[in-house]
Amino acid sequence: MKLPKFGSIVFIGVVMLVILPFFYFILGLSAAMSVLGIVLLFIVPMFFILDNFNLEQDEKIIFSFFIGVGVFPSITYWVGMIMSFRVAIFVSFIVLAGAGVLIRRFYRKKQ
Amino acid sequence: MKINIRHIEIGVFIVVYLFALYLWTLPFQDNKIPYGEFDAISHWELGDYVAQNDRTFANLPPFLDFSYGDDNIFKPHTLWYHPPFHTDLAIISAFARDRMVPIFLTNAIFASSILISVFFVIRKLYGFLPAILSSFILTFSMRDILPYLWGQWPERFAYAFVPLIMYCYYMYHNTYSKEESKPIYLYVMPLLLAIDMLIHPLIFFHSFFGLFVLAIVLWIKDKKIPFNLKHIGISLVLFLILFAIFPYQTGNVIASFTKSKPKEKEQFSFARLFQWAPDASKFAGSVPPSYFSFKEMHGLWTLPFLLIGLLVLILRRERRDLFLLAWLISLYLVLHRDLIGKPIFLHRSLSASAHIFVPITIVGALSIFSFIKLPQIYRTFFRYGMALLIVALALVYNMPQAYSTLANAYDNPLLRLNTAQIEASEWLKNNINENENVSIIGPPGELLQKIWWMASYSHRTSFFFEGFLKWKTYAENREEIVKYHLLNDYIVVDYTDVSLISDRSFVENLQEFEKNNLQNHTLLYNKNGIKVYKYKA
Repeated sequence: MKLPKFGSIVFIGVVMLVILPFFYFILGLSAAMSVLGIVLLFIVPMFFILDNFNLEQDEKIIFSFFIGVGVFPSITYWVGMIMSFRVAIFVSFIVLAGAGVLIRRFYRKKQ
Repeated sequence: MKINIRHIEIGVFIVVYLFALYLWTLPFQDNKIPYGEFDAISHWELGDYVAQNDRTFANLPPFLDFSYGDDNIFKPHTLWYHPPFHTDLAIISAFARDRMVPIFLTNAIFASSILISVFFVIRKLYGFLPAILSSFILTFSMRDILPYLWGQWPERFAYAFVPLIMYCYYMYHNTYSKEESKPIYLYVMPLLLAIDMLIHPLIFFHSFFGLFVLAIVLWIKDKKIPFNLKHIGISLVLFLILFAIFPYQTGNVIASFTKSKPKEKEQFSFARLFQWAPDASKFAGSVPPSYFSFKEMHGLWTLPFLLIGLLVLILRRERRDLFLLAWLISLYLVLHRDLIGKPIFLHRSLSASAHIFVPITIVGALSIFSFIKLPQIYRTFFRYGMALLIVALALVYNMPQAYSTLANAYDNPLLRLNTAQIEASEWLKNNINENENVSIIGPPGELLQKIWWMASYSHRTSFFFEGFLKWKTYAENREEIVKYHLLNDYIVVDYTDVSLISDRSFVENLQEFEKNNLQNHTLLYNKNGIKVYKYKA
């Protein structure tokens, strides 16, 4: 998997260092955890997939969020029918992140 | 790490968005108890139930089936909404391990995400300054804030998809050529469109009309129709996969849409064509009249800029201007569906007005000095001066109303569950079976909403017992109904709210009822003014 540039990681880190304490101070730990959950579960796995396509960086982030909030819970909902909901969340993350890796490999082979 | 202009722009947007979220979370910053009208209750409990029980469901659990068993007309006793929105709430609730804040905060982020999508699209079309100003003004949009507070949660979120879906088509159209094109936009578009439908079907139609008008406008402008069978085929397959993934709920959308309803006889009014908002008197009792007022919702100061913006778009007709015009025209069409006898949820469509009015207002305000011949340096100076003026006007005229509405929302102790009611609800949830009935005696009819919040919090079916004694619905066989519930249900006697009401007779009536009817019942719970009884033969 292609890793983001060092500068991008530092910038994302700075943004998270601002956002998470902000929510912690206005609403408490569960709010900070909620925001972390939204980023980790809805944006990151879809970003793994969209990062393989010819889109601009901001488009990838925005589309990841808006597609993630639809695709991630859809998988979780159906998987949650046959196992624990919490395990289903984990499985959905693995499925989407895995799809991102497979798409990258597919494109590499094609090239 | 080098700080570049992009980083600064993102930083400014994050500051504006966090400020918006600070405002939008005011209703639950000091009082972390669920609140809202009946819609809010249904959305909260759908997410909360899944997170609390660690499982998803196809058939409704008893307490939901009691209220919503027939809402899915295609497959009764199943979810009436597509699951993704509420599963999102459940995922975050389970992840953050809390019942209230994660669900309400996730909803606040979702409902305010129109700020994100408008910022993104306007920045792409017009640059950073119009984008950040649009986002900032939308922070105070009363037509977004009021439905958000009332509990129209999925609908608020679904509106954020409209500009993005149109943007995807716009980019596909702009980059399309026979030799080279960027079909990825045409693949992202159906995903967003289908997810928009999964979030809220009404807004799917907004998006559909937006796409339709934009496509026609661009086809006319460029005299070309981008047509590539492979791109369209892949796009359709992606849409259909998501469209079909929840057959019961999609079936419900189709069944509801195709169900023949008698057309409401609307007398065609020529004047209606020149009115943006529908007639407020037709929504009396359910929506306040101020909701239909431009002055109250947007502020009169925005009107001249809005008109100038509209004029600029019509005269200039650049591609980006056509984007905004198409969006505006599509909303106009959706908002005038009452003229063809489809007035249902018209007021809900009206709530999308600010999303397009605000960007046009900003374009108008920032374009004023482009009409005057000035050296570039003066033009830049006036442009930023105008931006500061807009910020100041919004802070003076729009922010106070938004702030007071959000800060004072549901802060009456009679509108939210109290600690004793929450404890009793949790006791019911942990100590009685899922299919047992609970009848709550105590709060007068004005506080009926609280009973539903207790039902929601306890995940148990709740009847409003005082209703059986007073409602005309049960006039014929009231005694049998009362007897049936008294003998079979868990009976909750709640003194907490009646003791807050100045009329002492409520407490006396309740004490008398308890003395006369519950003598042969076993007292199972007695804490902080709430008792739970069960009859055992």
